[in-house]
Amino acid sequence: MKPNDTITITRSRVGKFGSFVGGVALLVGILALLWTGISTLSLISIALAAVGIAAWAIFAPKDFSGFITGRQARQSLTAFFSTLILIGIVAMAFLYVRERVITFDMTQSSAFTLSRETLDVLRRLARPVQITGFYTSRSLAAREIDDQFFRLYESASNDLITRRYLDPDEVPALAQRFGVIQDGDLFVSYLSEDGTADPNALSRVFRSGRQERDMTEAIMRLLIAGSVTVYFDESHGTRGALDGTQVGLSGIHNGMQESGLVTAGLNVTSIADTGGDIPIDARAVILPRPLVDFTEGEVSVLDRYLQRGGALFIMTDVVFTQDAFLRETGVLNNYLWSNYGLRALDAAVVDPGASTETPLDILSYAVVSNTVTPRLDPSTAPAVFSLARALEVSSSSPRPSVANGRFIMTSELGFAERNLELLGSTNTYVFDDGIDTPGPITVAAWAEDLETGARIVLIGDSDFASNGQVVLSNGNGILITDAITWLTSIDDEVTFAPVTTGIGLPLVAMDDASAQILTFTVVVLIPLSVLIIGIAIWARRSRA
Amino acid sequence: MNGVRTIFGREIASYFTSLFAYLIAAAVLLITGILFINNIGRSQDQVAPNPAAIPDFFAFALIFFAPLLTMRLLAEERREGTLELLLTSPTSDSSIVIGKFAGAWAYYTIILAITFVYQVILLNISQGQTDLAHALCAYIGIWLYGGACLAVGMVFSAATDNQIVAAFLASAALFLLWIGDRVGEVIPNINVARFIRELTLQSHYASSFAVGLLRAEDIVFFAGIIAVMLFITIRLVESNRWR
Amino acid sequence: MIEVKDLSKRYGDRLAVNAISFKAQPGEIVGLLGPNGAGKTTTMRMLTGFMPPTSGSAAIGGFDVVEDSFEARSRVGYLPERVPLYPDMTTEGYVTFWAKLRGVRQPAQAARAVLERLHLDDRSKTLVRNLSKGMRQRLGLAQALVHNPPVIILDEPTIGIDPQQVIEVRETIAALRQSHTVLISTHILSEAEQICDRVIIINQGKIVAQGKPGDLRKKLNAANLESVFLQMVNKDKRA
Ligand SMILES: Nc1ncnc2c1ncn2[C@@H]1O[C@H](COP(=O)(O)OP(=O)(O)O)[C@@H](O)[C@H]1O
Ligand SMILES: [Mg+2]
Repeated sequence: MKPNDTITITRSRVGKFGSFVGGVALLVGILALLWTGISTLSLISIALAAVGIAAWAIFAPKDFSGFITGRQARQSLTAFFSTLILIGIVAMAFLYVRERVITFDMTQSSAFTLSRETLDVLRRLARPVQITGFYTSRSLAAREIDDQFFRLYESASNDLITRRYLDPDEVPALAQRFGVIQDGDLFVSYLSEDGTADPNALSRVFRSGRQERDMTEAIMRLLIAGSVTVYFDESHGTRGALDGTQVGLSGIHNGMQESGLVTAGLNVTSIADTGGDIPIDARAVILPRPLVDFTEGEVSVLDRYLQRGGALFIMTDVVFTQDAFLRETGVLNNYLWSNYGLRALDAAVVDPGASTETPLDILSYAVVSNTVTPRLDPSTAPAVFSLARALEVSSSSPRPSVANGRFIMTSELGFAERNLELLGSTNTYVFDDGIDTPGPITVAAWAEDLETGARIVLIGDSDFASNGQVVLSNGNGILITDAITWLTSIDDEVTFAPVTTGIGLPLVAMDDASAQILTFTVVVLIPLSVLIIGIAIWARRSRA
Repeated sequence: MNGVRTIFGREIASYFTSLFAYLIAAAVLLITGILFINNIGRSQDQVAPNPAAIPDFFAFALIFFAPLLTMRLLAEERREGTLELLLTSPTSDSSIVIGKFAGAWAYYTIILAITFVYQVILLNISQGQTDLAHALCAYIGIWLYGGACLAVGMVFSAATDNQIVAAFLASAALFLLWIGDRVGEVIPNINVARFIRELTLQSHYASSFAVGLLRAEDIVFFAGIIAVMLFITIRLVESNRWR
Repeated sequence: MIEVKDLSKRYGDRLAVNAISFKAQPGEIVGLLGPNGAGKTTTMRMLTGFMPPTSGSAAIGGFDVVEDSFEARSRVGYLPERVPLYPDMTTEGYVTFWAKLRGVRQPAQAARAVLERLHLDDRSKTLVRNLSKGMRQRLGLAQALVHNPPVIILDEPTIGIDPQQVIEVRETIAALRQSHTVLISTHILSEAEQICDRVIIINQGKIVAQGKPGDLRKKLNAANLESVFLQMVNKDKRA
């Protein structure tokens, strides 16, 4: 064996091997390029292809040149690769244009155009947000239709919003963490530093069939989340915000959290003791029926809070003890009366005209048109109060900058029973002329200082907000939600008018005669005339 | 360019003088006419008529309609021997392919345009309340869709000598490109399903044009499919010269 | 004008054309004579750029038919063996179409002129499908002539038409002498003898003899081409 021969054989073998590797790698590389775009796999394959083909050309130049100069091989290769290149160019152009999301909504109802309100919401985004959709492959078509809608969000937010789709069958654990219930569930969340969705700031997209409204509201909730904190007072023996029993407030507490509000506990007593202040981020403070009255120091804590534009939601009940919360002559009641023109009376509301089981279980008989609770409608869903406390609103404003008013009242037949002792011991209530106050009696009132921005809602009952009661009447829930919305003024930040769909689409009304003419024209006349024209032309020509 | 124009002109003239073309047109108009009457019939039961109803029908009908048009384009020339003359004329292969394609597309366009009459009728009987722009969007989509179907059909016409085989294969391919929109129902891996779906014609029509949304990417997609298919057809015709 | 060098065509195992070489000068009418299956059509198809040669080369007016296919094609008028027709067109429309496709400046006029020359002008509005066999053959000739190409290649132009029309067609071809280079294939000896300046006899893909009809006869000491031809064929068979 001469070494020369060995080398020759090796060279041609290397060349052959190179041609094989190069060909396969080129194919893989092109497929990878089409499939994943520029990725590690595609780059490596293409590099490998280049090396392989180079090896072929270097080690087996005859074979190589014969291959590329043979007419048929050359032509078919040229045809093949030029086709591949064209496909690649088309794919790139497609992907590029798709990234740009250039769309033109041609529907009359602007079904695919984000409304101004949505754009306003998106403009307020400061951090990356991810839309996470859980779709199985069975609902792929639905996902694609949804997706082009979410893409509008992505491009309108300058890519601050991104989309991510997960298959709940593939990542069951993650789906559970998100709380996926069914195929197609959607969530909006902030992206944490490492690029994953932050499960602590999650907002479920409630699907009601109005895509834009649903999605924008979810984003809105996310936006508000963290920025609006509402405190529950936990001193004075108040109702527990986390109490899940019938008398607790966990229902409204959790509802507020789902709406994106941050809730926290607060101890007014200890703040007063330490000379501190209500936290700076408190958008509203809820006093859910304290049992004992506030001291001078505690009132000044509340005063300082209101002075800087705070909001108070006060629920008070009829309490039969001497130091009851907000007793008529107490410090807090005096403060409220002299500063905001609101006060509670030591009297229980009786309304034989509008009540449920007993005249003490009163209904919101009259609701004055107001800004606090625009949605409460006593004729369809009244709020229900049991053993409510009578309130009073001053007829003239105590300070020029303060506006106040009452918004829920009893019927004309209602009155304020002053004799609480008798009521408490024997459960009797009679209207005593000259002692008891005749109706209509105020059950809920509001006040606002237009200068400082302070807002107060005072409601002469707390049972209505309890877990046991909110389920009884929708009106209760509406009252709470509206009151909190007003107090925190989140409705000023988000005004969302939904896109109206299905408006202006035609419904055809035709009488039978014209319907028949139309049917005849469309089904018989048009096709037949085309046929006759065809036959005529054909007959004339075939004689030529 | 001269070649394209000449061949296009001959194609168009041959459609206008062929009984077959009128027969197909009449059949299409009959079916779409019935569909249209049904559609407004339903709208009297308080459901608004779907502006994309006729284009939606075309998306399905093209599976059969497009191969019927394209199967003869090259196969017939081969049978009559005229392909030999075309290929030995000083005309580029691309002129031949593009001219023929443009002729078929123009014929399809005319049929499509006739069915737009229905939208005009609807506009009149609904007191001008029809979503004409939405309908137009669907028509633009189905027009491009049709062009892509014809281009696919041409590949098979060029690849086989037999017209029936060409039509059958093209139909099968177009059926896949139509039904593939629902690939997710059979393929559990969503990424694979999505990739495949993205390659189908229907997915670039049904969820955008048909619902009134004009997307640049879909236009690029259809234009790209047409370009690639015509390119392949040209290469196939050209291969006669070196095979 | 036509230059063929070592031209071969292989269909699978079968060598249809085997290294033939010949030339045709401007103004010459050259006959390609041979029995059926000799390779005449295959040769012409390679010359017109319809199919590529397996090896060897051919040029029209100095342009290679493969490398400069477009230039070569634009100098040729071609009538294939089976006349390619569009049955649904009118006679005039048909010729005009080819004139346009080959870039004739005034295609309608050129078409009318060539139809008149081939005595088809009274049929200009007739559909091709309603023409007689002879008229179709002449129509095929018309499309090959309409753009007045320097080289005209006619594959068995007189096949299957009646004797009266054969004479007309031959006269038409003969009239092309001087102004055009004509390559005509035929398996009829008398035809070749009558109109060709030079005859190339091919059999089984190979050139077996070529020269002026008279010279060939003298050289081979035969009474007429008929016997020259038979001699060749028989010699081949014996070999
Ligand atoms: N396309 C083809 N494929 C295979 N063989 C062919 C083809 N065309 C011609 N042949 C064969 O090549 C030979 C030459 O044919 P052809 O050139 O048509 O002869 P001619 O025109 O002289 O009668 C014949 O034997 C024929 O069978
Ligand atoms: Mg022949």
